[in-house]
Amino acid sequence: MHELLLYGQVSAARHDQVLKILAGFAAMQPRRILQRRIIYRPEREPEEPGSHLRRGGTQNVAVKQKQQSTTPTQLYYTHLVQKLSDEDFGKGDSKASETLSADVDFEGGQEPRWSSLFEDMPDTGDRGVSIRFTNSTDLIGGDPHTFMITSGPNRFVTEYYVEGHRFVHGNVVVFLHRILHEPAVRNLQTGPKVNPPAFDSLQLLDQSGTYILEAKVRVQDFKDASVLEAGVNELKAFQTSMRGCVELSLPDRLTMDTRVKYKLAPGVVTKAQAQQAQAPQNR
Amino acid sequence: MRNITEQSLQADIDAGKDALEDAKDGSEDDEEDTKSNTFEERRDEIMKMQWEMSMHLDFARFAAGNALDLISLALSADPNKRAPSSFSQTFRAAGLDKGFSFGTMGLAKENHEHDVVKTAELERRTEQQKKQDLVAKAARLQALDTATDEILKAAKDLEKEVRKETKYWQEIVSISDKGWPIHRMRSQRQPAPFAVRYGFPEANPHFKARGSAPLRMDKDGGIILDPNLALKPKTLRIRIIEGGRITGSSQLPVESVGEGLAVEKSIRLARDSLLEEELFHEMSLETRQLLPYGVRLRDSVITVDAPGMDTTTRQLLIDCIPREDKVPDGQDHTYDWLAQAIAEALRLLLTHEHSMRLYRRTQLPPPLTSRKQERKTPPLLRTLLAMLQHLQNVDSLFAYLNKVSNTLGGAGLETPVEASREESLSKLQVSLATSNNKDLSASDQLLNIFTRPYTGKATVTLPSGQGSPSEQLIVAIRTVIGAPTFGTEYRLTLPSSVATDLGLSTENRFQNTADIVSYLDWVLSLHIAHRVLKGEYADRATTKGTEARVTIASKSSKKGQSVKRNIKVELSEGLLALHLSNSEDSAQETQSWSGKGNEVALQEKVQEWVG
Repeated sequence: MHELLLYGQVSAARHDQVLKILAGFAAMQPRRILQRRIIYRPEREPEEPGSHLRRGGTQNVAVKQKQQSTTPTQLYYTHLVQKLSDEDFGKGDSKASETLSADVDFEGGQEPRWSSLFEDMPDTGDRGVSIRFTNSTDLIGGDPHTFMITSGPNRFVTEYYVEGHRFVHGNVVVFLHRILHEPAVRNLQTGPKVNPPAFDSLQLLDQSGTYILEAKVRVQDFKDASVLEAGVNELKAFQTSMRGCVELSLPDRLTMDTRVKYKLAPGVVTKAQAQQAQAPQNR
Repeated sequence: MRNITEQSLQADIDAGKDALEDAKDGSEDDEEDTKSNTFEERRDEIMKMQWEMSMHLDFARFAAGNALDLISLALSADPNKRAPSSFSQTFRAAGLDKGFSFGTMGLAKENHEHDVVKTAELERRTEQQKKQDLVAKAARLQALDTATDEILKAAKDLEKEVRKETKYWQEIVSISDKGWPIHRMRSQRQPAPFAVRYGFPEANPHFKARGSAPLRMDKDGGIILDPNLALKPKTLRIRIIEGGRITGSSQLPVESVGEGLAVEKSIRLARDSLLEEELFHEMSLETRQLLPYGVRLRDSVITVDAPGMDTTTRQLLIDCIPREDKVPDGQDHTYDWLAQAIAEALRLLLTHEHSMRLYRRTQLPPPLTSRKQERKTPPLLRTLLAMLQHLQNVDSLFAYLNKVSNTLGGAGLETPVEASREESLSKLQVSLATSNNKDLSASDQLLNIFTRPYTGKATVTLPSGQGSPSEQLIVAIRTVIGAPTFGTEYRLTLPSSVATDLGLSTENRFQNTADIVSYLDWVLSLHIAHRVLKGEYADRATTKGTEARVTIASKSSKKGQSVKRNIKVELSEGLLALHLSNSEDSAQETQSWSGKGNEVALQEKVQEWVG
């Protein structure tokens, strides 16, 4: 599934106003959304860029290009998303015995609360909206954290909370939200908390309290040009109608990069670094 | 003209000036008469006039030339403005060309303070001043007069306008106070600043567009009725026909004159009418899918076959008629309650569909695909049909079950029946209390039950011999107008012990009541024969095949030869019968139970027969 995206900013002072405007525009009441997102990073380190290319001359008889290696060349951060409600916060610290559970009571009409989310880097194409591939899988049982740890294998990076309101206008999903996190403990954690802390103890990631307005159209048949076009047009029409209220724009695709960056192993000095170090001495 | 005032004119009249002019006119007329006397005289006169005219022209030219030269000469003091062409021809020829230089004339302002004005001149001046003052005063008075008139007129206009606006706003406020949402008109085409919205926000697009009417002002400030509001209000009418006779009808009453403005009343009527029309529109679309169920749309009347009481055929006629139409007199009103209930149910279902539309719209939309989502017609008639059919089937089956239970009870075999017509209704309170769907109100969740398949359930506790555990036979009745059953389906679940004992499958499905009734008859009689009776005379009884017959040998007498007696159990139409026949002689005996009470128990009877 692909997502077409546009982003805008709403200052905290204008939040209520924009919320009302959106409610009128979409002709619906805002739906409050609370989420926890947990970030995972693959255990394996990414390979050095270009390492698969041959360097220098070779005495081998030229053979056909080797088969693509089975391991993927790119590694990505992945998310675990948990839907929360107001009652879930502040249930106190969890005991050591408690674990996360994604079990769903389908008979009782419950919906899955946990899902694992993969987001690719946005496409390079220029259609006026950001387009990226995403894949979301609902988890309906077991411990989601263990699932993520073993499925990578991944390791836990951090967790944060998203608070906001959702609107639906036709096929455009508008999500006016901001990001919260638990201060201080972030670096000490080795795994997600079983019970989220009290909502009041969370701090805004952006201290100014600015909200992010995300307008999203989801497209299933990405290959079908007319469907994609219809989606892009609908999103752009929304952009046009919001002009003067919220300026929606195309974000820089590099800021939405979800790949794991290659980092040199400590102690290794590249040629460029060596040159840089020598430069002042030569002078 | 300045000097002409009312007074001066009056003075003129008094002085007889106009008379003089009249006389002058008269003399001119006379002259014309006499002028044509002689040619000579006429020519002389023309010549004289010509001469006189040319003299005037010459003089005018001379004076103009002088003035031009004077000004040009005065201006020529400025070196920038020395142009020979600005002088007259004569001056150029006679002056400039002969060495007359530019700038030879000077002009200066002069102080006239010490001028001595001659008495005559002074008098003339004061006289003129006086005249001018007078004229100015008169003009001012006149201007003031017109200004007053204008202001008075403007005040009158303003007052009218204020009254008009006040009335308009009073009406708007009154409409708004009644709870109608008022909004500004976005299009400037119509000269109405405001419009009232009375339609349903989630209605069919066709009807949604009709749900708003501009509030325009008429000459007096009242609100003009928009064509949308002035339409004849319509209402849904449901009639019930039994055997060709109308036995009940439902119709909204003609609106009694309520309080409030005419506009408010017509807004209310328009709102009601809109719902009724949409309802009828949706139902007439729905009839296309329901042809196999005997739903017809003919002449704007929807005909629905409904199961009637007893054997009479009952039909529902649904149509949309103007609300003013009177109910014809002399009608049968027996089933008015039914018609009313059906009409109310349909209205509720449509409003439920409206809120479901909002609910669906606000859910996360599915990702875009090339497949277009088709718009489904709301299940209105389907629900009605399913409900009627379900109730009829459930009732007839339950009636049968009760009868059987009664009969068997009379025969000493206790078979209690527990039945619920619709399962989800019976556990409604629990499901509403535990529901975690925040987006749907309780009333919508309640109505949502009606759009889902109906499931009735009956539990029959089978009669059993002493000591054996009680077993239950479950009949589930499921009605769906649509896939997969397209009607009512009966599912009979036998307890596994019974199924194995009798060699039947645990689950059986039936399509109509008659089938399941005959099957139940058979299963029950088989159960009595093969399990109850056989269980009692365990070592003496034998059964054969799938016939509800048990053969019981008499107690082994000392003679050694036992008599075998066949007992056949028959259950049909709520009547239980036992047939006894001997294998040797053809003598037969029959005992039957109909559940009237005070009868001998079955087991005792058998005991009596068999010994």
